[in-house]
Amino acid sequence: MTATNQHLFADTKLLKVSLTSQTSKELPLSSTDFTHFLGGRGLGVKLVYDAVTPEIAPLSSDNLLVFAIGPLTATIAPTAGRTAIITKSPLTGTIFDSNVGGYFGPQLRRAGYAALIIEGRASSPVYLWINDGKIEFRSAKGIWGKEVSPSTDLILEKTDSKAQVACIGPAGENQVKLAAIMTDKHRAAGRGGVGAVMGSKNLKGVVVKGTQKVAVANTEQLDKVITRVRRLIKKDSITNKSLPVYGTPVLVNLANEYGLLPTHNFQEGTFNDAEGVSGEKLLERLFVKRYHCFGCPIGCGRISRAYDEEGGGPEYETLWALGPQCGINDLEWIAAANFRCNELGLDTISLGSTLGCAMELVQKGKLKAPLKFGETEGLMELIDDVALSHGLGAELGEGSKAFSTRYNAPELSMNVKGLELPAYDPRGVQGHALSYATSNRGGCHLRAYLIGPEILGSPVLVDRDRTEGKAGLVVLFQNLSAAMDSLVLCRFTTFAFTVEDYADLLAAATGLPIGGQELLRIGERIWNLERLFNLREGFSSKDDSLPPRFSTPLPEGGSRNRIAHLDEMLPEYYQLRGWDKKGRPTQTRLKQLNLS
Amino acid sequence: MPVTVEALAKLIDHTRLKPETKRAKIQELCEEALAYEFASVCINPVHVEYAAELLKGSSVDVCCVVGFPLGATMSEVKAFETKESIRKGATEVDMVINVGALRDENYDLVRSDIEAVVEAADGKIVKVILETGLLIDDQKRKGCILSKEAGAHFVKTSTGFGPMGATPDDVRLMRKTVGSKMGVKAAGGIRSFKDALRLIDAGATRLGTSSGVAIVEGYRWAGYSDAWLEPDKPCWTCPSRQASLGKQPKEVYLWYKERCVTCPHREQNIFND
Repeated sequence: MTATNQHLFADTKLLKVSLTSQTSKELPLSSTDFTHFLGGRGLGVKLVYDAVTPEIAPLSSDNLLVFAIGPLTATIAPTAGRTAIITKSPLTGTIFDSNVGGYFGPQLRRAGYAALIIEGRASSPVYLWINDGKIEFRSAKGIWGKEVSPSTDLILEKTDSKAQVACIGPAGENQVKLAAIMTDKHRAAGRGGVGAVMGSKNLKGVVVKGTQKVAVANTEQLDKVITRVRRLIKKDSITNKSLPVYGTPVLVNLANEYGLLPTHNFQEGTFNDAEGVSGEKLLERLFVKRYHCFGCPIGCGRISRAYDEEGGGPEYETLWALGPQCGINDLEWIAAANFRCNELGLDTISLGSTLGCAMELVQKGKLKAPLKFGETEGLMELIDDVALSHGLGAELGEGSKAFSTRYNAPELSMNVKGLELPAYDPRGVQGHALSYATSNRGGCHLRAYLIGPEILGSPVLVDRDRTEGKAGLVVLFQNLSAAMDSLVLCRFTTFAFTVEDYADLLAAATGLPIGGQELLRIGERIWNLERLFNLREGFSSKDDSLPPRFSTPLPEGGSRNRIAHLDEMLPEYYQLRGWDKKGRPTQTRLKQLNLS
Repeated sequence: MPVTVEALAKLIDHTRLKPETKRAKIQELCEEALAYEFASVCINPVHVEYAAELLKGSSVDVCCVVGFPLGATMSEVKAFETKESIRKGATEVDMVINVGALRDENYDLVRSDIEAVVEAADGKIVKVILETGLLIDDQKRKGCILSKEAGAHFVKTSTGFGPMGATPDDVRLMRKTVGSKMGVKAAGGIRSFKDALRLIDAGATRLGTSSGVAIVEGYRWAGYSDAWLEPDKPCWTCPSRQASLGKQPKEVYLWYKERCVTCPHREQNIFND
């Protein structure tokens, strides 16, 4: 291992562009930023923390939008094709990273950039063309206003068919807070309204092509580690069987059996027609082919056919959000609605959850609107209205927290820190409940996916009802996820890998001497910096909470009579984090993490 | 961590006994056994010669099942199967006891059946599979005593093809019955490091599992949090919970279920886990 190899990824550059002045400059990635934050989410969080202060509104020109890849991106490490997009969220007001698959990230790496930092606002719509080291700001005239597929096609037509595009649809252009950034036409950096930030900058898309070779520090060592980890992916039944065969929708029947499948806006945990919207039924009725992101041996993605149209999805979360959450059992309609959201550039989770919230408002007589659980009539048009910011759609596009508050029933929004909760009722999974409440980006299942140990038995089954020990597991997985999102690798690898595997991949690829504990420490540093950002924005321990609904027992199903026991876990969580009783990192811990 | 990752691996018989197993899977099994330094590969007789060739000169033993999975063949056939397997390279033999004879209390037949295999094994290690899911506790004890008397080296819980699998209760009972010098192998349904640790704690000195890689890899997580080892609901590991009327003789099934009624943990046996 040579001295230069020790900073292999740090030798890539940061590309900073100002949309206001339409200028760009390259900056070095400092050695400290690399060793402390790696890349991806960690690097993006550091950049946003340093530049975006509380007075900067998420949709103002001063907010940053960072596309960041990691030291493993575009290497032969499995699943090393993802991109992290970091900003201050217009939906939550928190620090936010949204993670997307596809093929965009590797092109950015081959163009020589660890991160693309976008600031300012263009005077008229543009797209950014990064062709290796050449940067162009091009007018988006004729593209602005178009949906995601035609936008992608037009941009590629005007640049290079071998390039990769990340763009917004009408939802992002209209700064809808549920707007996503789309890659490969149907892969979504969905959550948190990152698409709205892009729209607020008058930036229709980023297209990138790179031809540089990706160097690794120790090819022989990397080959050896990759042989080992690929075998682990092949040995694991989730990564080798369930996900390739059914995709993430394999979870529908399982979640339903455990009484965790939120139904009718989390009023119930079981859906009578779950079988009809399950992964098994999707395979039988609508499946066309599998979709693999860059370098992925798992291939969980689905291409489906609905109403004679092919499209990407639906994933488990989408099936749930546009299905049981709204009481809808029509699988083909759900898939078609998913395709529509892809074209409009909308986050299906927050959209479906907000629609479910609106349906409950109607059910409870607090809103008069043609919305009813289980009915799809007029719903597709309403989805269009959300993206176009028309009428009721404009109100829904603010997200369920704002929407329910508008109708004087904030308790009917199933959110944490303003982000709609995903497809697991927390009452039946105590660790996952804590994970939701303490998530730095709000209601998210990916910060610490305790469904793995609590339901799937990965790596080992733990009692889902116990609260003892759960704080420790949540901290472990939050730290690991932060590190993993900074490498950047797909979350599904955790079913097969252990902490050492990630550290070994990083060490072989970059030459950075690192073990499992040090990797987790980097994750912890990132987590704490995110916390500091949120505290600076005015968030507090009060926001580490769940909607009041989860203090009421589920009436029936596999998780009946259960509630979320957050109060039993939160103090231990703060203690393990080295935070005070109000959830603020202590100076001692910050010093230990080199953050003071 | 109660044992090291390496020590845990050394207790595992890396197992592949499915009828559809192809040679490529046996090769993979042997490669993994070498990489993780498992105790042995546990395979059907038809694969012994190939595995012995792949593992030649290594510390990994070739363990072959005999009279598998029913144990209901003739003693002469079990002896022949043993002899041939050893001739082809097996260094350990896992035989299935004559379960019907044990339940009939035909103890001479059970003992002589085991003796025939021990003799044919010619000093190589013999493990006797009791298939505990078909027995009540007294029968398990008797099976242990007969195995010991017949000169076997280990008693083993299950085939993995019968009802229930290895439970800490059964391993504890078998260990208590055979004493500290004889081996106890737990097999059947061991899928995680937590299962493995529980069985080792109960007295198992060998583990038969087709999840050896997952167990060892999973065990690495234990180095990062003690929370993995928090106790589970008692019913999870209780054999009575696993009893199945469809798979077990009625009287055996009822024997297990009767214990639930008087169990001190019965208050926790509600709804689903």
